[in-house]
Amino acid sequence: MFDIRLTETGDVMLSGRFDAAQVDNAKAVLDRLTVTTSVDFKDLVYVSSAGLGVLMATQKRLSEKGQKLKLKNVSGHIREIFKIARFDLIFEIE
Amino acid sequence: MDSSAPLDQDLQNRYTSHHPLEEPRPVPAVERKFKRHIDSLAKVFEFVDQFIIQEKVDDDAKHAFDLAVDELFTNTVKYHPSNPNDVSIELRTENQTLFLVLTDFDVDSFDLTKKTDPDLTGSLKERTPGGLGIYITKKVVDDVQYQYNNRTSVITLKKSFRRKNV
Repeated sequence: MFDIRLTETGDVMLSGRFDAAQVDNAKAVLDRLTVTTSVDFKDLVYVSSAGLGVLMATQKRLSEKGQKLKLKNVSGHIREIFKIARFDLIFEIE
Repeated sequence: MDSSAPLDQDLQNRYTSHHPLEEPRPVPAVERKFKRHIDSLAKVFEFVDQFIIQEKVDDDAKHAFDLAVDELFTNTVKYHPSNPNDVSIELRTENQTLFLVLTDFDVDSFDLTKKTDPDLTGSLKERTPGGLGIYITKKVVDDVQYQYNNRTSVITLKKSFRRKNV
């Protein structure tokens, strides 16, 4: 079960499995972002390349306005996938 | 070393749970067919996770295998959307190696093992998500094999695992 929501403080919270079936749900939230935003991975179990693609597209869009996504609480497993995909080069991971 | 000395608990656990010769019994393969739709992913995960729990696969291998299965199944849906045939997934273990065989019927050949790796060194502006799924799949499992015959594509993944003590 995947969930994505904006908190009162403007952070994005992700939970569950972020796979290809969840791309539209994720885009519906991420496409609304216009400023630098923290994305909390604390409850995210898993992210596939489809999820990575959505995060990358959002990062590209925000970077054109001098803004960005900042990722936090990334688990060891997901951090490993980020390393393989070299997302450590294009995202700030706290 | 005195062979009669008792093994310490850690070594004993490693021997009893990780020794490659510990598993003489062949584990019967399980197979299921899934509708070629992205919404089938939840059922694919359910099927794979059930097997992984039954086989006490460790968390690192489970995560890698979940990801690889997701990428392969998603590709079959993405590249053959109008194909009416279900996609078959077979799972088995042998000597603490997890095998997955994904069979796709009536499709053109696409040998993922020969696909060029994407360039991951570019700037954000230059990066594209294309080819990332296959690249990650190849990185997280131990081996990927591709066979194609009579318009049937068969992809076999291998991933070694440690058996959890539960």
